[in-house]
Amino acid sequence: MTTAMEDPLELFYFQHDEQTICGQPVSPITESFDVNYPSVVDRFFTRYYYFKGEVPYQVLYHSNRICLICLAPDHPALGQGISSVTFDVGNVDRSQNVVKGKAKRGGMILQAESTLALLTSESGETYKIPSCIRGKLVEVNTAVVEDPKLLEQLPEGAGYFAILLPKIENCDAIKASLLTQEQYEERLKTKKEAGDT
Amino acid sequence: MKNQELVDFLRSCGVCEVCQLRYLKARGSEYKDIKETLRKLNVKLNENEENGGSIPQCEDQPAKKPRLSVCSTCLGLFSEDFQQELLAGILNSDFAKYDCQKIVLAISLPMTLQLRQLSMWYALQRTFGTTVDGTNPPDVPVKEAVKLILHPIICEKLGKEYDANGLMISIDLRHHLEEDGVEKLVKLNKEAFPAKAAHQKRIEISRGLLEKQYQPSKVKAETFEKYFQIPCTSAEEPLKLQTIELQGPLTCVAGRYRKLSREISHTPWVLNGKRVMEDSIEEIIIRSIGPHFTEKPEKIIFMSSGREDVDVRCLGKGRPFVLEIPNSIRSSLSREQAHQMEQAVDKSGKVSIVDLQVVAREELSHIKTGEEQKRKFYRALCVLKEPVTVEILEKLQIPDSFDIQQKTPIRVLHRRPLHTRPRTIYSVKARVQRQNPKALIVDIVTQAGTYIKELVHGEFGRTTPSLSSITGKAIDIQALDVVGIDLDWPPEVDNSLDSK
Repeated sequence: MTTAMEDPLELFYFQHDEQTICGQPVSPITESFDVNYPSVVDRFFTRYYYFKGEVPYQVLYHSNRICLICLAPDHPALGQGISSVTFDVGNVDRSQNVVKGKAKRGGMILQAESTLALLTSESGETYKIPSCIRGKLVEVNTAVVEDPKLLEQLPEGAGYFAILLPKIENCDAIKASLLTQEQYEERLKTKKEAGDT
Repeated sequence: MKNQELVDFLRSCGVCEVCQLRYLKARGSEYKDIKETLRKLNVKLNENEENGGSIPQCEDQPAKKPRLSVCSTCLGLFSEDFQQELLAGILNSDFAKYDCQKIVLAISLPMTLQLRQLSMWYALQRTFGTTVDGTNPPDVPVKEAVKLILHPIICEKLGKEYDANGLMISIDLRHHLEEDGVEKLVKLNKEAFPAKAAHQKRIEISRGLLEKQYQPSKVKAETFEKYFQIPCTSAEEPLKLQTIELQGPLTCVAGRYRKLSREISHTPWVLNGKRVMEDSIEEIIIRSIGPHFTEKPEKIIFMSSGREDVDVRCLGKGRPFVLEIPNSIRSSLSREQAHQMEQAVDKSGKVSIVDLQVVAREELSHIKTGEEQKRKFYRALCVLKEPVTVEILEKLQIPDSFDIQQKTPIRVLHRRPLHTRPRTIYSVKARVQRQNPKALIVDIVTQAGTYIKELVHGEFGRTTPSLSSITGKAIDIQALDVVGIDLDWPPEVDNSLDSK
């Protein structure tokens, strides 16, 4: 007879194996649990922002200087719905980028205003996705071509356009040319206030 | 040519008894009792040679005061005097501080020695004609005779065994006629082997060159005689013992380490000249073990069968490691000493070592070869955004192996090439923490070289499949432990056992 108290998870409860090392019992891995543990993005990346005209983009800057280029949360295309993405930007197809070795030789050298990709929204508008920083193109995320909705659905960072590797000597200048989270929020507030009046 | 005739000729040139045997092509143990061997070869002993080591004057030399002259072909290398000098020199050095029972000798000989053998070769051809071959030397080479005669004597007197992996005793011998000899050789070489074209590289004079190119069949006696006497002049001075250098053997110490701390790196971590992490596994281990074996712990090389990240513990039996200790003073380790070292490391509370033992150099291959085939056992603390369900848990019970494709993780992409690597995951088993339904404890067995953290959360889709894609839920990893390494080496040793 099943009772209301029967626990469906009973078979799956964790049992810690006892062990002694350095003369002390080893603590179970569960002791490392942290309710406030930062997300993968927040652990390693700093969020920066770049405006192409009035359209905002997000640069996730890794502690090792690698950058992921994404749509900022307030990008208009997110409200309109994303229809398609292509890396063929006219005179060059970014998805043909090939890199070799540790130094990523052969990667396309991009400037902040170089076009990475073209995005078409459901309302018919086309956005030129800028590179946002000066650096070498390492990889484009072809998954968003096959499934553009990735850019809307996945937690931010998972929907990224490309991975760029800037030169070490340019890093300080690059960070100075981008907006911090604070500055981004300030600018949005100002825009909103200007729009309200 | 009879043995007696040959020996008479050699004696007339001031050649010692040992070298006489060399020209008689004596082998191995025949050098132990020289007089007996000569007798067996039907050679009459010279009365002058009864008083140890005295050599008759060379015939074409002006009469001198009788004294111990130097053999013209070995320059005293095989004389008893030299052996005494060598032994004294070795005993006077730091020899006593090395505990190794094995030695290896490296004696560097000046080129005049080879030139003298060459002179004698031409002289023998002149005297005995075609019975003396022009391509193969008529004597047992000096290098070989050194191994046959000197090595056993020195090993015996020092009470050590001869072994290539032992304490290396490097003996540098010089001779006052060397510079002159080399000068003449350079000139001879230009004449005997002129450069055929202007752009032809200048050949360097070396012992190897002498061995290969200089034979009566390749260089005419007349040409040789322009620079060197045939037979060689008698020497006034013997070989000089310039220096003796000792280099301890390479000792390898193996063991397994466990890592309790999530804040210690594998090897010293330095960024822009500053230490990022205070200590490292390498330093803790070398600190406790190194000083017993060497005066220069900074030269020790630390190798392990794989490694884990700073924030990952290593539990269970532990990860095999080896210390390669060059120029070691001690080459052995007692159980008691090993146990003391293990306890000293335990005191750190961060690292623990077991199975500490000295191993043969040949065993190092266990650590490095076959890395790709090894299996690694992990336990990961994973976290969901919502409480777990039976469905999710069932999806994470995967007893059969499956393959994944991993792109180089972004966290190492700045220093590694972009590459997609296939890896095999052998099994996955998930449990949930009581009272904490968002916390999953997942045991994973993978092929070596798999990035576990990325296997869990899928890193923006760059690792497929991932635990995240398999369950269709966002899963993050908060902590990771290595719980086993599939390598049965080094042998398990309980150093705490009483040896009685």
